Amino acid sequence: MENKSNRLKAKDFITIGIFAAILFAVEFAFGMLGYIHPYIVAAYVVILPLASGIPMMLFYTKVEKFGMITILSVLLAIIMFVGGMGYLGAPLIIASGLIADFIAKSGKYKRFKKIVVSFGVFNLWICANYFPILVTADSYRQDLIDGGYSAEYVNNLFGAINVKTIGVLIVLRFIFGCIGAVLGKAVVKKHFEKAGIV
Amino acid sequence: MKLDPRTKLFMILVVSIIAMMSATTPLLWAIRLSITLIPIILLIVEKKYSSALKFLIAYVTALVLTFCFLSSESEGLLSSLLIGYCGIVVQFMPALITAWYVIRTTKIGEFMSCMQKMHVPDGLSVSLAVVMRFFPTIKEEYSSINDAMRMRGVMFGGGNVLKMFEFRMIPLLFSCVNIGEELSAAAITRGLGGETKRSSVVELRLGVFDYLLMTFLTAATVFFVVYKYFL
Repeated sequence: MENKSNRLKAKDFITIGIFAAILFAVEFAFGMLGYIHPYIVAAYVVILPLASGIPMMLFYTKVEKFGMITILSVLLAIIMFVGGMGYLGAPLIIASGLIADFIAKSGKYKRFKKIVVSFGVFNLWICANYFPILVTADSYRQDLIDGGYSAEYVNNLFGAINVKTIGVLIVLRFIFGCIGAVLGKAVVKKHFEKAGIV
Repeated sequence: MKLDPRTKLFMILVVSIIAMMSATTPLLWAIRLSITLIPIILLIVEKKYSSALKFLIAYVTALVLTFCFLSSESEGLLSSLLIGYCGIVVQFMPALITAWYVIRTTKIGEFMSCMQKMHVPDGLSVSLAVVMRFFPTIKEEYSSINDAMRMRGVMFGGGNVLKMFEFRMIPLLFSCVNIGEELSAAAITRGLGGETKRSSVVELRLGVFDYLLMTFLTAATVFFVVYKYFL
């Protein structure tokens, strides 16, 4: 009996699908801003955790079983791949989802502190999109210039994101992930718990 | 002409691989263009004229702008905005068109039966099917939220960026959660998540067009990789 209730059901899969779609819509809307200036690409680490905090906190209230966060990250990896973001980041996205899942599980998906940390780790998927910039820096740079970007844009992009700054970006992302979790929780409480939807 | 969902998935894979690698020589551009044209032609075949035309115009404009007016030396605000626009379109449009075509022309039943044939775990295929189905829903809900706000005279949330975001996000989440409940109720009554293996109304078979298209796509990928990295 114990084993059976731990298995994911159709309803859980549908929830995962819906939140993956919402997360991607949020990411896409803000991602478009990155084309205005490369510094905005670097600022994703601040913007996206804050923005996705609300849907993710709502998602965490629906998570009760192991695997849901992992599947969410697999879906995001697939969507990113189809969206032309590259395959390099995909393992990283899935790994961050898996770790986030374990952290949240250790708090039985209920303890808020664990959820905050888990969301912080989950946000690593944003950094995964920087991966091609780091690993294949030289060829990617040439690719962008050939692809019609101006040298100015590319220089700024590589000035903002490189091997030296990635550490700072990851720490920032984690911090803002935690802030996003707290803010998102507050919003969820304000709107959804009062309405009795969670 | 009806394509098998498996061919469509393969097309998505090929297009995103080719879109990921940048084209440097005219030959590579030719391959990339022909890959982009396939979904557009397919959209026309499926009688989705307006979206085909929209995609075509956006893509051609961006290409022309990129090649005629922009170079790696261009600077200034206007050109950087233009580069932004063209960058998005040239880079992501092919994948976007293909994804749009697949979402628009594949029925969920076909998709599920195709996933089952490829032995994808049930959980992943159900979630993916929901994602596919959900993008149009999000768009629809979003525009009705906008309509409702306009009716009440709330334009931009009083110029407050946070409020602007909150006013749109919260109702969107509300309706998405509710739709999700309804969706899972509907799916469970149709036997999703049952113990037995589900059968499918749609019988999938690969036709002549499927094989032709798959051969062409494979050839294009091989050519692209070989010419880019080995020659």
